[in-house]
Amino acid sequence: MIPTLTDLLVASVALAVPVLVAASGELVGERAGVLTMSVEGMMLTGAFASVVGATASGSAFYGVLCGAVAGLLVGVLQAVLSVLLRADQIVTGLAANALALAGTTFGARLLLDRGTTVPGFARIEIPLLADIPVLGPALFRQTGLAYALVAAVVLLAIVTSRRTGWGIAVDAVGQDAASADRSGVPVLRVRFTAVLVVGLLSGLAGTQLALSEVHTFTDNMTAGTGYLAVVAVIAGSWRPVGVAVAAVVFGLAQALQFTLPALGVDVPFALLVMLPYVLALLAVAGFVSHSRPPAGLNTAFVRQGRLA
Amino acid sequence: MPTTLPPAPAAHDVQDGATAAPALALRNVTRVFGAHTALDGVDLEIAGGEVHCVLGENGAGKSTLCNIVFGSMPPTSGQVLLGGERFAPASPADALARGVAMVHQHFSLVPTLTVEENMLLGRGVRRLRPDRAGLAARLAAIAETLGLRVDLDARAEDLSVGARQRVEIVKALLDDPRILLLDEPTAVLGPEEVDSLLATCRRVAAAGTAVVLVTHKLGEVMRVGDRATVLRGGRVAGSGPLARDDAPDRPGGLGAADLVGLMVGRDASSLDPVLAASVGVVGQGPAPQGRQEAARTADRTVAQTSVRDTTDGRDAGTPPVLVVSGLCVDDADGARRVDDVDLAVRPGEIVGIAGVEGNGQSELVAALSGALRPSRGTVRLGGTDITGAGPRRRTALGLGVVPEDRHHEGVVTGLSVTTNLLLGRLRRFRRFGLLDRRAMQASAADLARRFDVRTASLDAPVSSLSGGNQQKAVLARELSLDPLRCVVAAQPTRGLDLGAVDDVVGHLRAAASAGVGVLVVSSELSELLVLCDRVHVAYRGGLRGPVPTDAPDARDRVAHLMTGAAA
Repeated sequence: MIPTLTDLLVASVALAVPVLVAASGELVGERAGVLTMSVEGMMLTGAFASVVGATASGSAFYGVLCGAVAGLLVGVLQAVLSVLLRADQIVTGLAANALALAGTTFGARLLLDRGTTVPGFARIEIPLLADIPVLGPALFRQTGLAYALVAAVVLLAIVTSRRTGWGIAVDAVGQDAASADRSGVPVLRVRFTAVLVVGLLSGLAGTQLALSEVHTFTDNMTAGTGYLAVVAVIAGSWRPVGVAVAAVVFGLAQALQFTLPALGVDVPFALLVMLPYVLALLAVAGFVSHSRPPAGLNTAFVRQGRLA
Repeated sequence: MPTTLPPAPAAHDVQDGATAAPALALRNVTRVFGAHTALDGVDLEIAGGEVHCVLGENGAGKSTLCNIVFGSMPPTSGQVLLGGERFAPASPADALARGVAMVHQHFSLVPTLTVEENMLLGRGVRRLRPDRAGLAARLAAIAETLGLRVDLDARAEDLSVGARQRVEIVKALLDDPRILLLDEPTAVLGPEEVDSLLATCRRVAAAGTAVVLVTHKLGEVMRVGDRATVLRGGRVAGSGPLARDDAPDRPGGLGAADLVGLMVGRDASSLDPVLAASVGVVGQGPAPQGRQEAARTADRTVAQTSVRDTTDGRDAGTPPVLVVSGLCVDDADGARRVDDVDLAVRPGEIVGIAGVEGNGQSELVAALSGALRPSRGTVRLGGTDITGAGPRRRTALGLGVVPEDRHHEGVVTGLSVTTNLLLGRLRRFRRFGLLDRRAMQASAADLARRFDVRTASLDAPVSSLSGGNQQKAVLARELSLDPLRCVVAAQPTRGLDLGAVDDVVGHLRAAASAGVGVLVVSSELSELLVLCDRVHVAYRGGLRGPVPTDAPDARDRVAHLMTGAAA
């Protein structure tokens, strides 16, 4: 039983980290009032670019750089569309996802040989802590990239908390952009930056998936993880700790599809694959939390240009 | 790297007359929206240390003027000069950086942030660590010089309207502005809060800041203004120093009657009492100072000479048409918004509900119209219990509702005037299952003529109508219900110009004299006093009163109730 539980936790954490990283970015974007549905596309693009970069350079570090830049570029596209051009945030996000899926699938045929593995990151065991039964292997036998990303997530949560000027500004433009504007906050700049943060972290989340876990690129390898990240923000009530818990729950739900069959539990595999998305549906339907989204979520800001 | 807040200021040099450049000057400023010219060649000069009132009816261009000075929109042509220098702010942030601050009519506080966070907003955006200590020091200075204290830890949305506005003012004063704009600051305040706001204006001006008070209420102007500029239809109708009892060294200044004349473009003595009341020739509640006396006397006159239709059906023996008993309404969060309200309206009677906004009036109207389900109590219309009835059944029983939010609840903005006028009874125009458009046209044209709804075409979308004509269209629809037994009108004159106010009031009176029970909810106390037979006061969800409006001290009694005092 213990080894299986350990396996389950190891698989959960492996699947939860990308969701956590992407969801932390999405949290900042949504708090600033921009619903970025293109997290999935950003992750996929990041995963693809990191594999291409790592293959071409032979270095995992350049892979991370490529993944981060690719996520940022999709972020710039999304920010221009939803913040500056005030296009519908959901529609453009979904379009970006379709584009990313097609583009990376095509690019993989063009640039990558099927089945090649890439120089990814090796796992680093933290002495002593990694030997803790059950939890140790799951938490303290991760790649350097994973440790760095989790640290980045914590840092991001701190610098965007309400203790900082940035955090106050982010919440202000998401809750009441008109008031923020009248108070002298550069609303569009704050929102644009927030979407860039979403792009950067989503790209890195895809990179983590490709270079730390899978060590290759496969078509549509994110397979809905980006959408889970968006749901994790809702389920986590737009609070960092809640979002982290939601990400772990989603990781656990995904991991069950590998662990339960291994245990010999006779559950149809298809049902297990569905599980995280059923949870996601329940979460979005409001069964998990009743807190309200930022008042200005999914609403473009334009300074009052007419008489009231 | 902490933000450095500016130190508490030394008093500005008070400018002495013509030698120094005015704190703010507008030169031939014009602003055009499509086919509409909101400001047309406006010239204006405001000196440091004075309270300069900008007066005008709704739609006269006051808000546009504020928006241009505060950087929310650029002028189409013309120049703004700040202390003699060219001033063309691209955003409110620019304006704030140049020392122009504004108190907005609907506030600029983010509701979910605390007061402290709201204060830090705009100064700490680029900073990781906002300078809370510097803010506290500045707030202490403001508390000492102006007596304005705020609770830093309260969330903005939890504050009362008066407290929220105090925060808004303190926030505007944080950076010691050269110009302080106040856009209709008293619209949401009770009488006592208005007094303290006006006192604050004087104190801020005394420190050398140029205070621009934008309002359409004359009583306030006469109490605090040094000079006034009157806008009418986007142009300066007149400007000059104000005559004040306590400043005998300025004979020949503008008096209240002069200002009314300039605002409406005709002699004040020819005004209908309701119109005079709506511009606020009357004082805003109990006035602390003697210089208010003239305005208050005018008020008396208005109240006593007010013409009310006396109808025969209004005697106490007639059974009421609308009876509300023990009504309670809770909001989504479970907070009680309407608390144990009893109310009766008899046929032919006009009953008013006064009170500062946010005291449950909106929820009461929503419960009467069927938009909100009460948690307790009953509503009866002509003897039928309609507490749980849907809007459709209420309409069928003869309840007309003029909702508070014209745009969102009153009309379907994208549909034509015709469709909007007849929306509730489309079934009457059915012919072979299709709508008989010719009959609809004829019927709509008749309604539009009777209610004076002015539109280029009845097929034009209702959004192309002016606010006043939209409101008349809503009235036309609701007052032409058949049968019509009771009308509930929420803020029926809000945002309308004087001509439209006159029409709306006239239609409500006509309905009452035809034997319909009329309930008017309004924050314009002066209007209620001349329109209604008796006035209740909404306070924290409950109803106080009623006060019969023919009592000589009706205004004082109602104003007293609005502060929460017992009857």
